Amino acid sequence: MSNENREHAETEVPAAHRDDVFIVIAAYNEATCIEEVAREVSASYPNVVVVDDGSSDETFAAAQRGARFVLRHLVNRGQGAALQTGIEFALKRGAQFVVTFDADGQHRVEDVARLLEPIIAGECDIALGSRFLGEAPNMPATRRLVLKCGVLFTRIVNRVNLTDAHNGLRAFSRDAASHVRITADRMAHASEMIDFVRDSGLPYREIPVEIRYTEYSMAKGQSSGNAIRIVLQYLLGKIFE
Amino acid sequence: MTPFQTMLVIVFGLLALACLTATLIGLLPRRMALMLFVIWLAGGLASVFPDMTTRIAQLVGIDRGKDLLLYCAVVVMMIGFTMTYVRVRHLRRDITRLVRELAVLHASEQPPAETM
Repeated sequence: MSNENREHAETEVPAAHRDDVFIVIAAYNEATCIEEVAREVSASYPNVVVVDDGSSDETFAAAQRGARFVLRHLVNRGQGAALQTGIEFALKRGAQFVVTFDADGQHRVEDVARLLEPIIAGECDIALGSRFLGEAPNMPATRRLVLKCGVLFTRIVNRVNLTDAHNGLRAFSRDAASHVRITADRMAHASEMIDFVRDSGLPYREIPVEIRYTEYSMAKGQSSGNAIRIVLQYLLGKIFE
Repeated sequence: MTPFQTMLVIVFGLLALACLTATLIGLLPRRMALMLFVIWLAGGLASVFPDMTTRIAQLVGIDRGKDLLLYCAVVVMMIGFTMTYVRVRHLRRDITRLVRELAVLHASEQPPAETM
């Protein structure tokens, strides 16, 4: 997508489709912000599914105040597993569109509609948010470098040309969502997701999205040093499966 | 036989005996039992006839019998670690499946929020 698309009117999901959209949020120890994030999303999309991934804090209760559906992993299984749980639940409830959304408030709810637009229009089955196509005010330089390395890694190992491999904002058609199988326990699921996009052969598209690098999301998010661990996990997983 | 050799023979003998009993009462699968039994037997033989390991070692181009034992031990351990790792992975996946099933089963639902 080219740059001239950046300046555009806010897209809106037609009201008729809103009940068909399920927003899946995986939360692990996010008690301080999950209620607000869930409320914000719920204001536009009634079907918000929060999966509390075995948090030791009040995440579950906080999520219940903000989201329509709250599921709890009795033991922590990792973000990928939590997303898979949320997706399967959403499909069971008849979701026609499934969107994954990060719990720390780094995504903008407005961007969800932009991701859904081409899927609802039947132009693609998967829409992936990309912060490099969009704008990311306050993105620290080191973070930018690490993420760029992630993209390079993706290009080499996953053989997919994406500008942003590790963006948590993704939208799927029902058909696409029902094929998602995330097995990686920890963060390596992002790479797995990309393998899925490639192997599924389903049409996908990258949509520019904005990331809010707030103090909270910076503190909660992956530390850059973690990136190496994630790469190792993913490669080991490939060898031993 | 030195006291140490006697000790080793007793230990290996007991292990072989335990292995045999476990198989007879159905605790160990036969293939696994046979494999373990061969290992304990070899250990016992190597303790009684240490020269034998040297001869075998030289057959495969290793100088001393104890080196051969060390290498074998390392290889066996590596195989063991790998098998355990794969097992743990599978176990983790099974746990995830269980946790997921329970999460979906006990999902809590609030009345839908007012959308704008």
